[in-house]
Amino acid sequence: MVRRILKAENTVPETLGKYVYCVIPFPTKERKSFGNLGFDASEVYTLDYRDLCPVVSDVTYRDYAVDEPEVEVHRNVVEQVMQEHSVIPVAYGMAFKSRKLLQIAMSAGYQAMQKALPIVDGKVELGIKVFLPKDLEPMGSVQKEECSADFLQSLLAVSSDNKKLKLFSDRLILNCTFLVEKSGMDEFSLQVGRLKERYAELKVQYSGPWPAYNFVDIHILGGKRRGFR
Amino acid sequence: MFIIDDILLRSIGISLPGLDMIWTLEQIQKFALKGYYNPEKIKDQIKETRLLYEFGELDRQEYERKNSELLHKLDVAKKVLEMDLGSKMDILG
Repeated sequence: MVRRILKAENTVPETLGKYVYCVIPFPTKERKSFGNLGFDASEVYTLDYRDLCPVVSDVTYRDYAVDEPEVEVHRNVVEQVMQEHSVIPVAYGMAFKSRKLLQIAMSAGYQAMQKALPIVDGKVELGIKVFLPKDLEPMGSVQKEECSADFLQSLLAVSSDNKKLKLFSDRLILNCTFLVEKSGMDEFSLQVGRLKERYAELKVQYSGPWPAYNFVDIHILGGKRRGFR
Repeated sequence: MFIIDDILLRSIGISLPGLDMIWTLEQIQKFALKGYYNPEKIKDQIKETRLLYEFGELDRQEYERKNSELLHKLDVAKKVLEMDLGSKMDILG
């Protein structure tokens, strides 16, 4: 189900805005195209802003509801861009009414993005969730903590940073995300494999590589849904 | 008798929190509304449902049904919060 909430009433003529997928360091003036991967098969391309380029596509300006197929479009574009560039992530749903407004946002966030660059440069985010299967005896809190600490210690040794995320289910033992050098991904995966074997009775979800969403938090232009995050 | 007394007291503008039956019922209703329409709790349920699907504990059909129910509940919860159904408005100023 594709659900779209149009910001404007139907009577107001549609205008094309810029949807931002991510920002990349790209110190040339030339426009780079990533193909027609965007919303409604629109072309995804770079806009020039000093040495940072927002990766955008031209879209009808609207609010973006959290909807699986649409989030998938955003995710897919970022995944493609990540193959060639370090990426400063932008939250899903960031659309600007015009190029001018986007440039104002870029100007407001330029310094913060410059600061974020070394954090994301050459790195990816990898997620780990450890889950108790329904047919397994519930674990006590001490047991859960021991298991969680074992995962954390083992994976911290092969990562640059980590963030604990919310345990949104009683059956979730660990929900954590790690910042890992691209070159260290294989070693990290090996370590995850060892932990999976050690805790074969538990379900382990290993996801990524993602852009460093949980390690970059830039708020621009106030409000929760109108900035880069 | 107690309820009638409460209503009578209220009609002349007197309410004693804690002793006022209607006030107590309103507090219970408010508490229940907050518990049921808690967007954060519903978002957690949406994430849990997704995880159960990804781990194969729910099939696609069951996942889609539950997910769509929860998304609807989240919409309602946000509207309830916006309207603040639990609070009263002083129409006499």
